[in-house]
Amino acid sequence: MINFRLDGRSVVPTYLQIVQQVRQALRMGVLDVGDKLPTVREVVAATAVNPNTVLKAYRDLEREGLVEPRAGHGTFVVGRPSGPPPGTHARLARSLAQWVHGAREAGLDDESIESLLRITLRAAAEEETA
Amino acid sequence: MTWLVWRQHRNQVYIAAAALAVFAALLLVTGLQIAGQYRSARAACAASHSCTNLASNLTLGSPLLSLLVTLTVVVPCLLGVFWGGPLVARELETGTNQFAWMQGVSRRRWLAVKVGWVLLAAAAWAGAVSALVTWWSSPANALNQQNFQPGQFDIQGIVPVGYALFAVALGIAAGALIRRTVPAMAVTVAVFTFLRLVIGQDLRSHYLAAVTIIGRFGQHARTPTGSYWLISRGLVGRDGQLLSAPPLESGLSVNGVPVSEMPAACRPLALQNPVKMLSCLTEHGYRGFFTSYQPAGRYWAFQGIETGIYLLIAAALIAVTAIVVLRRDA
Amino acid sequence: MMASSDVLAVQTRGLTKRYRRVTALRGASITVPEGRISALIGPNGAGKTTLLRLLAGLARPGSGDVEVLGGRPAQHPSFLANVGFLAQEIPLYRRFTVGEHVAAGAHLNSRWDGAYVRQRLASLDIPLGQRVGALSGGQRAQLALSLTLAKRPRLLLLDEPVAALDPLARRHFLAQLAEAVADGGLTVVLSSHLLADLEQTCDHLILLAAASVQLCGDIDTLLAEHQVLIGPRKDTTAIERDHTLVHAVRTARQTTLLIRRSGPVIDPAFEAADVGLEELVLGYMSQPAGPRPGRLTTIGEQQ
Repeated sequence: MINFRLDGRSVVPTYLQIVQQVRQALRMGVLDVGDKLPTVREVVAATAVNPNTVLKAYRDLEREGLVEPRAGHGTFVVGRPSGPPPGTHARLARSLAQWVHGAREAGLDDESIESLLRITLRAAAEEETA
Repeated sequence: MTWLVWRQHRNQVYIAAAALAVFAALLLVTGLQIAGQYRSARAACAASHSCTNLASNLTLGSPLLSLLVTLTVVVPCLLGVFWGGPLVARELETGTNQFAWMQGVSRRRWLAVKVGWVLLAAAAWAGAVSALVTWWSSPANALNQQNFQPGQFDIQGIVPVGYALFAVALGIAAGALIRRTVPAMAVTVAVFTFLRLVIGQDLRSHYLAAVTIIGRFGQHARTPTGSYWLISRGLVGRDGQLLSAPPLESGLSVNGVPVSEMPAACRPLALQNPVKMLSCLTEHGYRGFFTSYQPAGRYWAFQGIETGIYLLIAAALIAVTAIVVLRRDA
Repeated sequence: MMASSDVLAVQTRGLTKRYRRVTALRGASITVPEGRISALIGPNGAGKTTLLRLLAGLARPGSGDVEVLGGRPAQHPSFLANVGFLAQEIPLYRRFTVGEHVAAGAHLNSRWDGAYVRQRLASLDIPLGQRVGALSGGQRAQLALSLTLAKRPRLLLLDEPVAALDPLARRHFLAQLAEAVADGGLTVVLSSHLLADLEQTCDHLILLAAASVQLCGDIDTLLAEHQVLIGPRKDTTAIERDHTLVHAVRTARQTTLLIRRSGPVIDPAFEAADVGLEELVLGYMSQPAGPRPGRLTTIGEQQ
């Protein structure tokens, strides 16, 4: 079971935050096929968001083929988002942490690390489109 | 709804019940004493054939107690102020009517149950006090024969119930119109007192046409008996017109006619020679004396009429309350 | 809770209410579909309380129509059983205990879920034996909400319910409310002078200003219908002709327009951006009084 952290001040609409957090949980392996999502009532009682917002998020996830409502039982995970299998993220995160450590040792501050990352991402994107 | 009314007003009921219990105990004990005192005085005067003067010689009970009993005249007003005034006004003032009116009970029923119970309680309470006072006063009534006097009439029989219902209805209506408790209470006192005085002093004697006895000079005049209510006395003029002076006029009077009202020539004779005075009056054109009164037998008719008047006013006030509560915005 | 359902819980047409010489509400026409949590937003004195009281049947309309759950508000048990109203001052009997309020509710309502209210109060740590006069503002609001919910109403009208609550109690209150709506069959209209309080919990908006309805609709739809246009300082008559201008800010170099779209915006000089709820509300609130679409407001004129 996962908890949603929903930020009313975020520019991301609340229903999208729910969708993203479910996808993220699936990628990270926190949720797996067969797991049950919290009921609308449970989400609402914990977060005070509108029930229709949660419903809308669950319907989006259903359209993506990730979850499936079972009448009287709740909403269950039936698929994974396309992408690497669970665990890949965690593995990559570990090696990235090692890299960050190395960058710090080399004297880079956080701002430099972030801009380096951005430049690299952009270069990679241009390479792909080229 | 009844549950709510009881929960809201049970403290008032407890206080009223306690006060009534104390009052009842006091009146029962002293009432029995007074009844005994009157019985033995009656027996004593019958033995000595001096019962005609009994009323002026005998004082029943203590003056303090008589004062307390006389003070029960304010009971209806108190009920109106403390039970009627806050009934609707306090709810409007604190907004609790909005709580009650959004439950599954119609406003009509809310009002009917509240008003119904408080009127019933007021009638019962005032009725109980009046019954005790009436019983307690029965020796004095028999002795003094003054049942029609305002101090007696107003606190005995069934009129206190009528006053109480009127006062409570007045308090409720004032509260519904003014929507504030304390001003509603003040208005209740003012209007109640005003109306009671007007009806008691100006209207009551006209409920039924007074009986008038005319006695020609020299004839033996009939006199009313029992606890009748004397309305007026005076002279009968040349053309049979009744010439009366206010009955409470002070100064020397003959058969209720102040000497000062008589022709100047007859005045000196009033004390010296009553027979000559009569012939003097006859010479001046007067024909006799008259007495106008409400007979003792009409006591309950008067009680009934007065109670009816107050009940009608109370009903009108409740109707006004209903219109205001049901029609006006909360 | 059917978002697609179009059955209306509330519908008013040209609703007007005058108190002596003050017009509290002028020509208000709103609709609230069933299952919505509708935020009734407006500055103090905009007519929020008046509108809620008209819907609850506590006040009578001067003119116009009110339809609540398919009928006119009435002082009748069949209407009252379906509608819950919580006044801003949360009137409860100060001398009654919490338990006595529960008992009163049971006596006064034909449909009453006593077990539900007891369980709710227990979970809120509000003891039944406590006198209401001794409760905190938050507890009183929660008690009043619990009592109202125990009626199992189909429409709940709440006047500034969170105004008196601290942030934690506020969130808790709204969560309880959202939970009740999630249980199904309930529509809520709640007022506030602050949008931020309600933004996440509501999916429908009624915006009142100066006794008039400025906006009414599902928040998603309203956001989709409006757009912010940012561009150079130039003549915007064409845009104003094609769309409804809500609010404009013009500086020496720049023009920012909030518009209600009637189709796509094709002026290439302007960059179109989505509008946020707060921006939308502020745009309408800074209009001059009355729903006068197209009226131009010029703010921040600088040379």
